[in-house]
Amino acid sequence: MEQVAPSPSPIQAKRRRFSMYQRDSMLGYFLVAPVVICLSILVIYPFFFAIWISFTDRMIGQGGNFIGLGNYRYLFNWIDFQATVRNTIVLVVSLQSMKLVLGLSIAMLLNQEIRGRQLWRSLILIPWAMPAFVAFITWKLLFYPQGGAFNFILLQTGLAETHVGFLSSKALAMPSVITASFWRGFPFWVISFLAALQNVPQELYEASAIDGAGPWQRFRHVTVPSIRHVVLVVVLLSTIWTTNSFEAVWLMTQGGPSNATMTFPVLAYFGLQNLRIAEAASVSVSMLPIFGFLAFIVAKLLQED
Amino acid sequence: MLGRLTARQKVVYYLLLILLAIFILFPVYYMLIVSLKLPKDIYRSPSLLPINATLQNYVVLFTKQNFLQNIRNSLVVSISATLISVFISCLAAYSLVRLRYRYRDWIGRLILFTYLTPGALLFIPLAVIIARLQLGNKLEGLIFVYLTFSAPLSTWLMMGYFRSIPADLEEQAMVDGSTRLGALFRIVLPLATPGLIAVSVFTFTGAWNELLYALIFITSPSKQTVPVAVSYLITGDVFRWGLIMAGSVSAALPVMVLYYLGQRFVVQGLATGAVKG
Amino acid sequence: MQKMFGRFSLLPVLLLAALLLAACPPAATPAEPAAEAPAEAEAPAAEAPAAEAPAAEAPDSDAVFTYWGGLIFSDTANQMLVDRITQWGEEKGIKTDVVMINQNETTQRVSAAIEAGTLPDALDMGTGLILQLIETDQLEILDDLYAEIGEAHGGWMPSVAALTAVPAFKGHQYGIPFGIGGNVLFRRADVLEAAGYMEAPQTWEELGEMAKAQNPPETYGIGFALSNVGDANLTTTMLQSWGGRIADDEGKTCTIDSQETRDFLSWITTAFADGLFPPGATTWDGAGDNVAYQSGNALFIANPGSVYLYMRDNDPDLGDSTKYSALPGGPVMRIAPMSSPNLRVIPSTSKHKELAMDLFKYLADDEFMAEYYYNAIYGPVAESYKNAPIFTEGPVHVGLLDLVENGTPPAYPDVDNVAFAEYGSNFLTPRMVQRVVVDGISIDDAIAETQTACQAIYDKYQ
Repeated sequence: MEQVAPSPSPIQAKRRRFSMYQRDSMLGYFLVAPVVICLSILVIYPFFFAIWISFTDRMIGQGGNFIGLGNYRYLFNWIDFQATVRNTIVLVVSLQSMKLVLGLSIAMLLNQEIRGRQLWRSLILIPWAMPAFVAFITWKLLFYPQGGAFNFILLQTGLAETHVGFLSSKALAMPSVITASFWRGFPFWVISFLAALQNVPQELYEASAIDGAGPWQRFRHVTVPSIRHVVLVVVLLSTIWTTNSFEAVWLMTQGGPSNATMTFPVLAYFGLQNLRIAEAASVSVSMLPIFGFLAFIVAKLLQED
Repeated sequence: MLGRLTARQKVVYYLLLILLAIFILFPVYYMLIVSLKLPKDIYRSPSLLPINATLQNYVVLFTKQNFLQNIRNSLVVSISATLISVFISCLAAYSLVRLRYRYRDWIGRLILFTYLTPGALLFIPLAVIIARLQLGNKLEGLIFVYLTFSAPLSTWLMMGYFRSIPADLEEQAMVDGSTRLGALFRIVLPLATPGLIAVSVFTFTGAWNELLYALIFITSPSKQTVPVAVSYLITGDVFRWGLIMAGSVSAALPVMVLYYLGQRFVVQGLATGAVKG
Repeated sequence: MQKMFGRFSLLPVLLLAALLLAACPPAATPAEPAAEAPAEAEAPAAEAPAAEAPAAEAPDSDAVFTYWGGLIFSDTANQMLVDRITQWGEEKGIKTDVVMINQNETTQRVSAAIEAGTLPDALDMGTGLILQLIETDQLEILDDLYAEIGEAHGGWMPSVAALTAVPAFKGHQYGIPFGIGGNVLFRRADVLEAAGYMEAPQTWEELGEMAKAQNPPETYGIGFALSNVGDANLTTTMLQSWGGRIADDEGKTCTIDSQETRDFLSWITTAFADGLFPPGATTWDGAGDNVAYQSGNALFIANPGSVYLYMRDNDPDLGDSTKYSALPGGPVMRIAPMSSPNLRVIPSTSKHKELAMDLFKYLADDEFMAEYYYNAIYGPVAESYKNAPIFTEGPVHVGLLDLVENGTPPAYPDVDNVAFAEYGSNFLTPRMVQRVVVDGISIDDAIAETQTACQAIYDKYQ
């Protein structure tokens, strides 16, 4: 690493500044290269490859011919696909608003002067520290009609006459998936919000208290503006994770009953089941515009300063 | 936020906290007791208490199922992936934050975008690449593939962290005759330690938990990672819940411990890295 | 800021721990990870362009023969296969690598391997996947080997021979059958006999009547899956036994929209409305029916035998209360579909085709197969295998033998082609049922919708 070090030589100031910039930029490219090369191989190339095949009729083991928008035409007329779009929106919007409201409330609760704050925070991390597949397979067991805890409790206490199909009735399947996803996902929000809340200068609260502001006004005019940036980033990042997440639905319902919980990644995976990678790719690609938009906002926010 | 709480407020707060604790802990508890039950008891006499508790599932898991080997594989993969990805990400993040060159912003954006690409989209092309590189069915291949998610995340988090460290410190060191890299390693990285730990914890858990790629790219049983081994306990139409839960408990334990140890850094790392750019 | 110190002291400890952990597995981890990290990360990148050139085959001097077996629910049977292949390798003096693949992931695994050119030298699969793979010439033709092994074992069972003579195979054989399954009807004799039903149901309608002996939520009558899983395709069988058809005799035009389909659908949705199905049935995974029966919650299930094995090992009481019979018939015909046989195939990319053929002969050994059938719940594929004692002694095995001798081919009376396979893997019949019982749309609408979706699939293969 020493060879990149500048060898101090007595040159004119102007030239030195120039070569300093050059050295910096050389070093800059050199340092960023490993990550860029790895990601080009692992993500960028596969990414364009997937976009390309979504315009072909390629099947596993077969080259495939360019068919233009054929796959997309098929998709948009496909009931499953329409259900998928709807479900993904319902899932993401309701899950994210739950996480936002409850996550912020819990973070504010934990930000109080309470005993054993440290302990509570460790506790919050538990669901998030748990591997996703473990978390969702456990929730599946909890929801199960036979051997599942919830049905056992409901039947024992007489709250339900018969087994409740948490994952099987159309009305309950989505809420159940949302509950489990909430359990696994909310800690990230709480922790981020908590960190942000702690960075709000105490003086601001004091000042607004002197101005006679009530708790709601303090929240509205001090807390919200101070953590706005954090909230936005968390919402966007988590939205992307949620839209991309495969395990929750796959492990608990596989998209059923009757499409009630079908989401993009699961639908794409089903496409692979039939060796039709072109169709599977077009399912994934068709969600990219939304992603591009979200990603653009995230990038803007993160690079703001 | 302000001042002391009244007694009534306290009661309400603690009640809410207890509810929250139940919500968080109940699934963990249930997972634990099911892992202590025999198949017949799970189905025929469900209960919320560990009746006829037995360690049978764990015995089967660790003696018959080669689970120790799986744990070792997961450790190798997760630790290597963490070290590699944290190292190259630090370099990249430093470069993107402190050094000035053309296309820098574009490169930064590109790295960000790679993190947002759906995994299900990538796995077939990745299989081709891994095979071309002769990395199929090798733990090294898995380590490499895990850079898809670990490198971008680590790079951003570290970028946020480096931004929060005043540039004067390194400039001072450089005036004193240190090189840029010397300043990075001697001044900046030590200051970014909490961030480094947070990033390591994230990468490690991401790699430890990953299922889809491990399932596809590893074929030999002797090279399976823990999540794959647990998913293999579901054979065809048979869910061996007792064993699955025992495997789940064992899979979750190491990351739980890690989070417990690294919790402060995770919280702080997030605050400074992801969140406050 | 002073907190920083506390944090600092933890760092070396953590790093040390990480290093120790990294160092303990001997082979794979670099001794000095941080230093080697960039080298390792960049190396593959540098290799990439070189590897673009002609698919670089690693010229191993000590070649390894790889085999992918399908993981089934019997650990003993899985182990038997591994041991047998290992033993063969030792006799031949060749290294073997046997990998048991979870059958839930076979398609994904094979897809990735085909694209990457990393299929094994031989593997197990069902005819459905074979059909899909020969579309793109992925498999070796095994006509001679098929004939030779068949002859050596008294000839293939006629039904098996018929099943491997699929029109889409165009007169060729692509695999060596080794096991064939199918559903057997399990019934809770203790409950049913108490209600006066001494015999097995002969028709689905009879089964529906008997199911009313249920006592929810303790027990439900009909423990059949109606969800998006393979088990739920039993509803396609039922539909056919009502006289309904998925497609015409050409296997090109969907004919779901028929009075027969309407009759079937109204029967099953009425049964659902009567509460005869367990509440979870519309979203069960592959294990749903098993678990329902294992919990003592279902009076009837259709199962290939995994539940029988479970009861044999874990719950003999329940096993004693269970009786087995063939699947009932419908108003028009009785269909007892054999599941597609499991075959051993050789990918066209296999590096050891001759060895693979030799292995197949070795695995077909009568004595080995007799013990294998005992552990894996399969019906016999060749005449000489029928003599295994288990086919006269085990209740489920007797049922399976009966199925092999008298059952109907998969898809029958429909044409077993790729489109039918995709119809099945999209679970269109159970979904049609779900549309009515879950979404509450009318039977006519559900049929019309399914007809359209079905035709869209068949059109892809015109």
